[in-house]
Order: sequence, then C-alpha cells, then structure tokens
Amino acid sequence: MTTSVIPSAARPAAGSGRLYLRRFARNRGALLGVALFALLVLFSAFGGLFSPYAPTDADFTALTQPPGAAHYFGTNQGGNDVYAQAVHGLQRSLVIAVSVSALTIVLAALIGAGAAYLGGRVEKLTLAVIHFLLVVPSFLILALVSHRLAGDWRVLIVVLTVFGWMTTARVVWSLSTSLRERDYVLAAEFMGVRPWRIVVRHIIPNLGSLLVVNLTLGVVATVLSETALSFLGFGVQTPDVSLGTMLADGSGTITSAPWLFVFPAGLVVLLTVSMTLVGDGLRDALDPTSVSAASGGAR
Amino acid sequence: MSITLAPAPERPAPGGGPAPVLSVRDLRITFPSEAGPVEAVRGVSFDVLPGRTLGIVGESGSGKSATAMGVMGLLPPTARMSGEVLLGGRDLVGLDDTRLSRVRGREIGMVFQDPLSALTPIFSVGRLLSDALRVHQSLSKQAAWERAVELLDLVGIPEPRRRARSFPHEFSGGMRQRVVIALAMANAPSVIVADEPTTALDVTVQAQILDVLRTAQAETGAGVVLITHDLGVVAGYADEVAVMYAGRIVERAGVDALFRRPTMPYTIGLLGAVPRPDAPQDRPLVPIGGEPPSLVALPTGCPFADRCPAVLDRCRTAEPEAVPVAGHGQVACLRAEEIADGRLRADALFPAPAGSTVDTGTTGEVVLRVSGLAKTFPVTKGAFLKRRTGTLHAVSDVEFDLRAGETLGLVGESGSGKTTTLLEVLRLRPPERGRIEVAGTDVAGPLPADRLRELRGAVQIVMQDPMGSLDPRLTVFQLLAEPLQAVGVDRPAVRARVAELLGLVGLDASVTERFPAALSGGQRQRVGIARALATRPRIVVLDEPVSALDVSVQAGVVNLLTRLKRELGLAYLVVAHDLAVMRHFADRIAVMYLGHVVESGSTEALFTDPRHPYTEALLSAIPVPDPRRERTRERIVLDGEQPSATDLPQGCVFVDRCPLYRRLTDDGLRERCRTQRPALGPAAPGSDHRHACHAR
Amino acid sequence: MSRHQAAITSDSEGSAARFHPAESHVEHAQNRPTATRPPHRARYGPERRTAYRDRRTGAREGGAVLRHVMRKAVGWLAMIVVATNATYVLASWFLDPRSNYLGTRPIRTEAEIDRALAPYNLDPRVPLVDRWWHWLRDVVLHFDWGKSPVGAPVNDEIGFRVLVSGQLVTAATLLSVLLGVALSVSTASRQYGWWDRFTQLVSVFLFNVPTAVAALGVVLVGIWLNQSLGLRFLYVAGEKSPTVEGLLPTLADRLQHLILPTLSLTLLGYVGYHLTQRTLLLDAIDSDYVRTARATGLTRAQAIRRHALRASLIPTATSLAFGIPAVFTGAVVTETVFGWNGMGQYFTQTIAKNDVHGAVAVAAFGAAMTAIGAVLADIAVVVLDPRVRVN
Repeated sequence: MTTSVIPSAARPAAGSGRLYLRRFARNRGALLGVALFALLVLFSAFGGLFSPYAPTDADFTALTQPPGAAHYFGTNQGGNDVYAQAVHGLQRSLVIAVSVSALTIVLAALIGAGAAYLGGRVEKLTLAVIHFLLVVPSFLILALVSHRLAGDWRVLIVVLTVFGWMTTARVVWSLSTSLRERDYVLAAEFMGVRPWRIVVRHIIPNLGSLLVVNLTLGVVATVLSETALSFLGFGVQTPDVSLGTMLADGSGTITSAPWLFVFPAGLVVLLTVSMTLVGDGLRDALDPTSVSAASGGAR
Repeated sequence: MSITLAPAPERPAPGGGPAPVLSVRDLRITFPSEAGPVEAVRGVSFDVLPGRTLGIVGESGSGKSATAMGVMGLLPPTARMSGEVLLGGRDLVGLDDTRLSRVRGREIGMVFQDPLSALTPIFSVGRLLSDALRVHQSLSKQAAWERAVELLDLVGIPEPRRRARSFPHEFSGGMRQRVVIALAMANAPSVIVADEPTTALDVTVQAQILDVLRTAQAETGAGVVLITHDLGVVAGYADEVAVMYAGRIVERAGVDALFRRPTMPYTIGLLGAVPRPDAPQDRPLVPIGGEPPSLVALPTGCPFADRCPAVLDRCRTAEPEAVPVAGHGQVACLRAEEIADGRLRADALFPAPAGSTVDTGTTGEVVLRVSGLAKTFPVTKGAFLKRRTGTLHAVSDVEFDLRAGETLGLVGESGSGKTTTLLEVLRLRPPERGRIEVAGTDVAGPLPADRLRELRGAVQIVMQDPMGSLDPRLTVFQLLAEPLQAVGVDRPAVRARVAELLGLVGLDASVTERFPAALSGGQRQRVGIARALATRPRIVVLDEPVSALDVSVQAGVVNLLTRLKRELGLAYLVVAHDLAVMRHFADRIAVMYLGHVVESGSTEALFTDPRHPYTEALLSAIPVPDPRRERTRERIVLDGEQPSATDLPQGCVFVDRCPLYRRLTDDGLRERCRTQRPALGPAAPGSDHRHACHAR
Repeated sequence: MSRHQAAITSDSEGSAARFHPAESHVEHAQNRPTATRPPHRARYGPERRTAYRDRRTGAREGGAVLRHVMRKAVGWLAMIVVATNATYVLASWFLDPRSNYLGTRPIRTEAEIDRALAPYNLDPRVPLVDRWWHWLRDVVLHFDWGKSPVGAPVNDEIGFRVLVSGQLVTAATLLSVLLGVALSVSTASRQYGWWDRFTQLVSVFLFNVPTAVAALGVVLVGIWLNQSLGLRFLYVAGEKSPTVEGLLPTLADRLQHLILPTLSLTLLGYVGYHLTQRTLLLDAIDSDYVRTARATGLTRAQAIRRHALRASLIPTATSLAFGIPAVFTGAVVTETVFGWNGMGQYFTQTIAKNDVHGAVAVAAFGAAMTAIGAVLADIAVVVLDPRVRVN
C-alpha cells in the first residue's frame, strides 16, 4: 500500500476566506451595496461638520424653507435644519439597527441552536414560546412597551431585541435540527465533547453563512421596524430625532413641503437597499449551492 | 396481464445483425464551475443493440451519470453538450425541450438511482403511472388506470389494484424502485437507461430489482444502458461493458472478454482492487495508488498516466485513442497490444503490497462482551400529542464477544439492528436490557467520572461517510485535537500526538492546516481513522468504513485498517452491508436479521458452509465480478423485504421469507418454526460456528 | 414584528433546504451534474425513521381530515385566549389610565382620579388579578370588552372598525398571495430571463421601502391620477364618504375608498410570497421527482406545473398564518396614513390615550385574524397534500 498519499494538485489548499472574497467581489450589486453603506456611515458620522446647525437649533428666520444654500435640505415648521436632523436621525437609526441586529443574531443563534441540540422538553418549550410570540401581533406589544419606556433610544434597542429574536431563532432551530443529525455532531458526542461545546463549536459555526446574511437583513428589518414605530409615535420621541420621526413629521406636508419627507425617506431606502445588496452578495458568496449563486457568473 | 408493445423499430442493418437502437458518437459534456469548465464527458461513443445490455462502469466523477443525463437530454441548462445521440436514426442533440419530451418516456425510459426521492410525493403511484401513459398515448383515464395496475403487477407489486392508490411514502425503497421501473417501461421504449438502479438498495432487494429490470427488458425488447460502479452487477447483467475513466471510455469489450482478459491497466487494477465474495480470505486487495484526476484543466496525455504502473513517456504527450484489439474490443492504451498478447503481463502490473495479507494470528483477551442486548423504540403517531402506537424492536437479543486483535463483522440488511447495536455499545450507558462490558467493566456502572472518561477513550468510532463525519469548518489539526481535548490532554501533548497520528495513517504533515473539503475521499477517511485512534482506544467501531469510497481507494483503506489492527493490537467491531469486503476484512462474522443474530462464526466457515437459510440467501445475492460464475451459479432470490420490526413473528423471525420453511414437509417442525424462537446453537459440538434454526 | 421580518424568515427558510456549509466548490461542480451522492442518509435515527415507516392506509379519510382541522382549530383558539389575556396583563402594566386625568381642570387628587376610574374597572388600587377576572367575566359572559378611561364603551368603537380593518387585511392578504404566487410561477420556468430579473428587482426594491413611505407614495400617485383624469375616482382619505346613500352607491363608494389602501398593503405584502415561492419552486424544479416526470415525457414547463408547483405550495400555505401579523402591522401604518377609522388606527389612539381595554380588544382582533388565517392555511394544506388525508 502507499504509505504517503500524494496530495492531488487540483484541490486548493487556500483558505476559504479568500475564495469568499473573490466571489463577493465579482458581484457588482454587492460592491455597490458596500460602497453605499460605507458612504451612509461616513455621512452619519461626519456629515454634521459641513453644516453650522445642530439638529435642535431653531432658525426662526427660516421656517419651512425649501432646500437652499444655507439649509441644504431646507427647514421644517419649527425652523430646524433638515440636513442636521437627517444626519442625526441617520446616526440614530444606524446605531439602533446595527446593535439590535447583532444582539438579535447572538440571542437567536444561542436559543435556536441550543434548543435544537438539547432537544426534549427544552426544545418543546422554546418552540412554544417562539410560536406564541410569532403569531401574537408582537408589534402591538412592542408599541405598548416602548410607549411607556420610550424617548430613550437605548431602551428601544433592548425592546426591539427582546421582541425581535424569534424569527431568526426559528430559522436557526430548523436548520440546527438537521445539523444535529450530522455525523460529525454524533462523532463529537462519542468523543465525549460536552453539549454546549458541541453547540458552540459544531452547530453555530456551520450556520455561519446564514447568520452573517441574516445579520445584514436584520439591519434592514430593524430600520423598517424602528421607522414604523417612530412614525406612529411609539419609538424615538421628540426632542430626539430618528429617520422615522422625520417621516412622521414630513408626511403631513407631503404636497406643500415635500423636502421634509423626501430626504429622510430617501435615506431610509438607501440604507435598506444597500444592506439588502450586501446580504444578497454575502449569501451568494458564502453559499454557492443557492439558486441565485448557481449562475452567479452570468449576472 | 398483457402489455401491448410498440412495434420494435425494424431497420435494415448495414452490416448484418440488428441495427443499434441507440448510437452515441463523440459525446462531450462540460459544466461551468468556479475553478473553470469541468469536462465531465470527453468524447464518448457507444452503440446499444435491441434487447441487449451495455454496462457502463466507472468510479465517482468518471462521467457515467453525466453521459446518461446527456442521452436523456436532462442535463441542467448550464451544461454544454456536443456530439451525436442517435435514437432510431434521429439525432437528439440540439433538439428543444418540446421535441425531446416527445421522445422521452416513449422511445427512451430512465430508471434513477434514489427511489426515495424519484417519485412525486403528492401523487398516488397509480396516478403517476397513468399520467406517464397518457402523456404519449390517447387513453381514457379509466383505461390508463387499468394499464397502470397491469404494470404494477408486472413489476411485482403485490395487490396492485389496491396499492395503485397508495402514495410513494407508503412503499419501501425496493417497491418504489419497482414503480420507477414501471414508469420507465410504461410506453414500451426502445431504450432504457438505468443509472445506478440498485445502489441505494439492500443486496437481497438488489437481486430482485435486477430481475424486474430483466422482465422489463424482455417485455419491451429494449436495449438497456446499465450504469453502475458495481463490477459484480455488470458481470451478472451486461452483455457488453464500457469502462469509463475521467470522462472517457478507456476499454469496451464483451463482458466475458473484459473480465477474463482486462487490457487497459486501469481495468486490470480495478479488478484487482475489488473485493470478491468468492475469493479466499488471504487474497490481498491491491489498491491503485493515487486518486482520479480533477476534470478541470486536465493535463495533456493519458489521464491515468500518474497512477499507471505501465506508464511510458509517450503516455504523457497525447491522450491515446481507443483502438480495436483483436478478439477483445476497444482499448484506449498505447500498450494494449503488448498486454493483449502477453508481452506485458497483466497480473504483474499491480503487485500485492507486502504484509497486506490478513493474518488470522493471535487474539488476546476479551475487550468487549455483549449479552442479551435489547433496544426498543416507541412508535408514535400524531404531530401534536404523540400517541404511542407500537414498539419497534430494533435489537432483541444480541450476544457476542470481541477479543483484542480481532475483527468482528456485523452484517445484515438495513433494519436488521446492526447500527443500533453499534450505537448501544458506543453510548456507554446502561442498555435497556442485557449487559455490555467494555474491557471488563460493566457500563451499567455506577462508574466514577474518570473511569467513564477512560472508557470513552477506549471505544472510538470511524463513520461511513468521511465527508459527513468531519466538521467542514475545522482544520485537520483541530479535528484530530478534539478527542484529545475532550479527555483533557494539554496543548503540547496534543500537538505531538496529532503529528504522530498523521504518520500512523500515512498522511503527510502538510495536511494539518487544511479543511476536509480540500482533501480527497481517501485522505478524509484516513483523517477519520486517525481521529478514532487519537485516544489510543482498545476497541474501534467501524460503521461501513469503506462503503462511501471508490473501489480503487477502498482497498488502500482496508489494508491500512488491517495493518493498524496488527500493529496496535486493536479490536474492530465492523458493520458493513458489503459481504465481499467483509470476507477480506473480518475474522468472525455475525449475521443479523430483525434484531437477532441468526448465525455467527469464523469468516471462512460462514462463507464456505453457511448454516442459516438467511445467510445462504444473503451470500447468494452478492453479485460476483465474474460473468461465467454469475451465469452458472444457483441463486436464491428471497421474496419480499425485511419487514418492520414493530410486529415480530412469534417464532423464528425469518419464517415469513424462509425458502427452507416452504420446503419443509414435517408439520411438527413447521409448527416449531412458527411458534418457537430458535436459539443460537453450535453447528457441531464445541464449534464456534453457531446458528439459530430449527430445521438445520 | 413586521412584514419584512416575516418575509426574511420565510425566505431564509426557503433556502434552508439548500443551505450547505460552503466548502467544496470544485468538488461540488463535479458532483452536481452526475447526481451521484454518497449513499448516505440519516443513519442514526431509528426513532425518526420508524414513525415514518409505520403507516397504514387510512380508512375514513374524510373523518380524519375533519378531526385534523378541528384539532388544529382548537389549538389556535387556545392561542387566542392566551394571547389576549397576556396582552391584558401587559397593557395593565404599561399603560397608565391615570395620566388621562392629569391634565384636566379642575386638578384632581390621585384618589379622585382613582375613584373616577373605578366604574370602568381601571382603578389601580384594585389588585390586577381582580380587575382581570372582572374583565374576563364581562368578555366571556356578555361579550363586553370594557370601557375606555373616559367611560366610552369599547364595543361601540370596535363594531364597525372590525369590519373596516377585516376587509382591508383579508383583501390585502388574498391579493398578496395570489400576486406573489402568480409572479413566482410566471418567472420560475424562465429563471434569469428578463421578466424574472425585472420582477425580482421590483420586489427587492419594495422589500426595502418602509410602509409609511410606500403608503404615501400610493397617495401621491392616487392624487396625480385623479388630477390627470380630472375626476375624483380614487379616495385617499377615510374609509367612506359621509353623504352617500343607497346600496349600490354605498358599495361603490366603499370600493373606491378601499382600492388605494389595499394596493399599498398588497404591494408590500406580495413581496414575501413572491421571493419565498420563487425559491421554493426553484428548489422543487431541481428535485429528483421533477426529473423523473420529465423522463416520462413531460416538458420542463409541464413538469413544473403538474409536479413542482403543487408540492412547493405546501410550505407557502403553512406560512400564511405567520404572515398575517405582518399584514396587520402594515395595516396599522396604512390606516394612519389613509385616515381610516379601522382597528389599526384605533390601536394607535388607545395606546396614546392609555386605553387598556381598547388595546386589548385590538390584540384580540389581531390574534383572531391570525387564527382564522391559520385554519384556512391548514385547510389549504389538506387540499394540496393528499398525504395528510391518508394519515
């Protein structure tokens, strides 16, 4: 017998990271998404430097002014600079969305994978809770809770996380139930690896691409949720500003002062579209078996 | 029952003899991939004659299935195909889907590999069949249904009228494959393409399905293309054989000629590497070194050159064309003439590796003792509130000893309880009933934690599918370190042990930082073996250790396992469905049926003198890679399939399918078979060969 | 939480079946066409396998189906009860009816306020359990959902609002499912054709638009249409005109008011069904049984219609129930934008006015809509999947 197996030259030994990067970089939409998102982050961080106004400054000499040289995005009925508010609102929305999405993913991964692997009563109970929270219009509960505690965006992060993990957890759970049947999980059991170590080392990493993709899509979902809540007056509240509160302020004057609505709406859509593009690109790069990736080269 | 057949295509043959119903010329198929175009099929040509069978054999990635899909016009839209597929004189290549659909099912039928997923789950089989009939024939619904019932009867579905209303999931795998064959033959096609039709089935069911395929062929007069990796199946079924390697047919000849005088070195190597159930145990398996090449950017020259013992410099400059060899067929090898006329001796090409023979030498103390083991599973119904509706007796009464330095094989078909037995041993928890002793310690305990950890290390497993059993996100180093970390070995010791393990299984140290996906199948299984050896176990449980590997690679792994056992004094408990591999590998064998051991004994004794009728049938069902033997030997084809273990018969568990029972004339004996469960008893006083049968 | 998250979930679940750790690329390319997989199935689960093996062809098919649906319906009813009661507790915690009296003149003392709230079963001094029991009894015995902090009966408010919102949610859900499935079917057989790309582009864009923005966009388009056509055909505010009389004019008037809100809800709702169903259908098209169907002589399009579509609709039908809360959420925003006096708008009012009983009634309505959707989904599954009937 051959004592040393010759490694076949055709099988690449290179790390998978570089491969993912190459696949991702080939996707023009994904690159556009990254560029857009980066621009938005820069805008939210440094956009304030280009305007002398603070979001709370009221310029009583210029009420409801259309966009111009002094006020790039115009002013609202209270004389606030819409540009300054948009920068601040974007920052709020971004911080909320990114932190909620990250926290949600961590929570969902641990709960979903843990329930699937541990099985038995733990699994049944977790699923019951998830299903219950899924069918109950959780938006109502969200509104209830945040109405009472609102005003503070940090509270909003907690509330959105607490009521936002179930959907992802269910997906993680359903995928983990097939992962727990994998031979390598069983092999680890027979080696005496402890249950939670199996969850963290063998199950969650193998959901990696799903979690990364859901992280980006979670940002989209959170932006939209936060927008809807704030629009109805249950999310971020005055004097604080988010893109959602700006939409609510602008929606009443959509025909008379459209700039109050158009700029925040545009920013929200740019933000969500950029993250969706990134998410799609990541899915195709990380999961080459997906339908859209099969002809990825042709796009 | 009568099936009206379309008139066979009659066309004057140019050179006398029947005209081929299917002619493939220079078929080329390319798939796009990340790394570049995959040239899956590179210029394949063959003819199929009416009523005859062409076997296409090859290992995974040889392009045999792609050829089948190309002929059917069922390749994914991204694939590129060129060449000619002449069916009854018409070229199918380049036809659009609508035109092809008029041909598929009517002139060419197909049998697929996996019967479990091949049937639409939401339609009854009768509906599926009558739909298939009505696609090509104008039949009333009623008439089509009647025909469907006839077809089901023809392929051996009992109670066809009632079963026609059943859905695919209500059938076993073998029964579903019968339905698939009925679908393929429904419109009496002139060609039937069967792609690995028995690979997913148990060996006794395989024999039945091949018989059904013969029936279908006889009824329709179709030419059959039988695609398989199993040389035994080909030997018993095909008239002509084409051997594929790296997308080309490297040797094509009549079945007798090919098996008697293989001429392409690859074929020679393949026949040397395949385990045979009829060969004496000490015949070594000779692996072909290396691995099949990747089909992306193949180097010029013969793709087998790197593995070929008869390679010449010329072989690497241009790929040899298939040339006719007198009295043989066509061979794509520059040295075919030399091999055919004996100047180059075929049997000297692949010498048996030194020390690869099985030594049935000394065995040590008993390391594993299992007695009276039983395991049941509740059968539940309902999704909301699970109601227990029955009990599955997966393992009812299993008993065996395993000694150091010994290999014990558990054989049996799926559902026989062999895997459950393995898992019970591996769990190291008190069994439901019976006793499991590992290295003299009863696992029912109570065991202190450190003793349990010690036992954990003493029993390890190598699994069937090396890809599935290795976490794709971990490097080889991390994989091998895991069992060591689990028993608390410190970091420097882990590093040293991993290096040692790689050397033990013959892997280069350069693989440590690779992921499993970057390894070949053989390398992966070596990693799996190394991982099992990490904690210096005394017992290694091998679950189908080579069944996922190609024949040319499998021999190397079998030889490695044999060497490791000898060097490390291991005890192996092996589960395998392939009895031919077992003959080469196991010292003793226990045959299981419905959770019972029905016969056990030394491998030689069991193969040469099987006592239990089930063992007899099982052995007789294994196809032998020797066409003459296949034609002449007597075969016992069992009826039906192993039933579910929910309702065990009161007496002998095999009584319902037992051919011997049917021949018994003694009513008292028949009564005992039906009512008393036979116990395992020695074949001769004091013999280790034991079986459980009232009638023998 | 919102339509988007529901859509994401179902989308990722659709891809669940084909989600594999993405390591073996070259090998994958080799394996895919040949369709030879290692003969590996889940070997280590006899428990799971037996449940599937032990089946008897069921007699009394119809009875079994009815029992199946009834059992499910009972489950959903229990869900409504639990959800509504849980909301009562939460609402009582988080809403403070006293604040409604804080701004009134003359200024009242805390005790006075509590006394004012007492007749409405909102007195904070009464233990929560007692208030809950009182409320539950009224609901169960008299179908009386309680009173607002200023004494207005909730029943008076919800009567017509339930109808208004019910028709909006129902119409939007049905249209979403129809549009989504129709689009996915029309695109799946020509994957990556221009129509597929175009519809996907539109859907992905709509997926990213906040409900409020979309609703306002529809309002603008409606106004523009009215102006350019020179008539008042599409109404952008309210659910009815106050002055219309007679049956037919009333119906027409209601319909005219319904069009735009339904359109805006549908535009956002169909996206999830389209993207999910497209993925499911493409998975089904790649399945072995569709290949078998094609091998018997069906064209690709026929095989998709007859074999893939029906099987792939089953998960969509199941997900219908989980989609309804999202539609309801969308309805809250849409009703606010369009000035509809529906349950959604009522909800924002009740929370703003700390109306515990009103908010709970809205939650009960949402749960009931979900349950109705779920039962319909169960029936759809039974129709689509004959296996349920057999077992």
